[in-house]
Amino acid sequence: MYKYVLRRVLLAVPVLLLSSLIVFGLMRVMPGDALTVLMAESGNIGEKELQKLRKDLRLDLPYHEQYLLWLWQMVSLRPGDSLLTGERISTSLWKAIPVTLELTALAMVLGLAIAVPIGVLSATRQDTTSDYAGRMVAVSGLSFPDFWLGTLVITFAAIWFKWIPPIGYVSFWESPTRNLQQFLLPAAVLGFRLSAATMRMTRSTVLEVLREDYVRTAWAKGLGGRIVVYKHALKNALIPVVTVIGGQLGVLLAGAVVIETIFALPGMGRLTVEAILYRDYPVVQTNVMLVAATLVTLNLVVDMTYAWLDPRIRYR
Amino acid sequence: MNGDRAAVSLPGVTTAPIPTGAAAPAATVSRTRLLWLTLRRKPLGAASAALILLLVLSAIFANVLAPYDPLETHPEIRLAPPCREHLFGTDDIGRDVLSRIIYGSRISLWVGLLAVGIGTVAGMIIGLVCGYWEGRIDLALQRLMDAVQAIPGLILALAIVSVLTPNTTNAMIAIAIVIIPGNSRIVRGAVLSAKQNRYVEAAEALGCRNLHILVRHILPNVTAPILIIASIWLGNAILIEATLSFLGLGTQPPIPSWGLMLSSTGRAFMEQAPWLAIFPGLAISLAVLAFNLFGDTLRDAWDPKLRRQG
Repeated sequence: MYKYVLRRVLLAVPVLLLSSLIVFGLMRVMPGDALTVLMAESGNIGEKELQKLRKDLRLDLPYHEQYLLWLWQMVSLRPGDSLLTGERISTSLWKAIPVTLELTALAMVLGLAIAVPIGVLSATRQDTTSDYAGRMVAVSGLSFPDFWLGTLVITFAAIWFKWIPPIGYVSFWESPTRNLQQFLLPAAVLGFRLSAATMRMTRSTVLEVLREDYVRTAWAKGLGGRIVVYKHALKNALIPVVTVIGGQLGVLLAGAVVIETIFALPGMGRLTVEAILYRDYPVVQTNVMLVAATLVTLNLVVDMTYAWLDPRIRYR
Repeated sequence: MNGDRAAVSLPGVTTAPIPTGAAAPAATVSRTRLLWLTLRRKPLGAASAALILLLVLSAIFANVLAPYDPLETHPEIRLAPPCREHLFGTDDIGRDVLSRIIYGSRISLWVGLLAVGIGTVAGMIIGLVCGYWEGRIDLALQRLMDAVQAIPGLILALAIVSVLTPNTTNAMIAIAIVIIPGNSRIVRGAVLSAKQNRYVEAAEALGCRNLHILVRHILPNVTAPILIIASIWLGNAILIEATLSFLGLGTQPPIPSWGLMLSSTGRAFMEQAPWLAIFPGLAISLAVLAFNLFGDTLRDAWDPKLRRQG
């Protein structure tokens, strides 16, 4: 196990370094440099001030020094200031991350609550109407754009129930009910999208496990259907599902970008989209890198959980 | 009767001849036939194929099918609800929504096809190189692919589009880049298993050049997974283009793109005129659904083993 963990961590480091190179390179591909573009859009800053700003942001250094400097900023957790608001990026992240964490965690819980029971139902009643219905739900979760579902949910909640989500973000600790009113709908939309892949995976693994010998033994012993399915089959079937959830983290974070924009939640996703729209490149490169680092780390954790649950993996 | 049909076609699935370079034309025929059999057995698959056909036809014949000019404004009938003259209603400056949706299929399909085309070919080349030569080049390229994949697709596409300028072409390029890593990995896997075949060894022993072995003996084994993934990616590409346009970073007004229609007029007038949000979203959903279902059908027809990896 120890060796396996070490190998995986060592493999993750170059991946992260390459990601940082991609992100950094991308921000430097802009025609001219970041500031020329920015200034061309706002248009009222003189050449002299531009030079000074360029110096402050160290854009006058050669690329490799800029890169190393930025890398050091990221590693030491001091990512600099936003070009747009002048606020410290770490301060705005400190405010935005809890919002996204709450949204994604809720979405994950709701998504699993939809996916696992329907997946099991689909598998235990293979090729019946409920199986087809469940699979249709899964495919539509993969196909319906989350921004459309979000828009529809807001529209029809307003038209039918005269209900509009409370405006102005309130943290959970200030007012749990108001906060949940704000988060439940967006989390449900995001969770629905998330549930699709998990549902399909649950269905196929449960189907597989139900054909195993020990499940047949359980049936032969005369155990009740519910015990066989939930205690014997589901427990083992859920192991591969864990990896699917790991793969869904990217979907979750990308979904947060769209959902936060629609539901006006001040999280990481909205922060990133706004930074991209206004070409606030220090914020963009920090946020994108943070997301990449989070994903790589979480996938590492998922892989290790998997190896811990199933020792055969470690020796591959 | 149903079971009978399954029994007829099932051996066809399991004993499908593994296509080799020499038997390429015959293999193509049998694959089409397999697909045909599956389509007849699976009504959902047939429905998805019909939907895709409809989408393609409406994109090609948009100028004949659309009842109005998609850019023509009629302020006097702004926000008209669906009626006989305007089946899907009109938007805030009196443009016909149905015509805009029909023309919008051009953007969606065009972006989808080109992005998936570029992404698939590039991913395939990388996958072939990695799988065939293995070793250091494989290690380096695959770590690069890992690095690209570490950034969620939509966020990477957003960043790429914002660096270039937001428009349809750049959205397409961004989507193509997002597609490459996953494709390269699938092709690499397929190549690694195809290499185990005896005829590859035989070709090597005969002194065939690498390129010849790759193209004639390995590539034919890889086409089925590529086509299956490409179909699913087509749906995803349409979805990403719509999302980029929705966020203001894809197709720019006044060009009718489904995602843009939803964000520009759909959201602004959604309480007065919900049809502005419903119909473009429905168009996106149906298009993506069709490609997803068709991808599943292809998978059922050609490669039952792939089912788990989706």
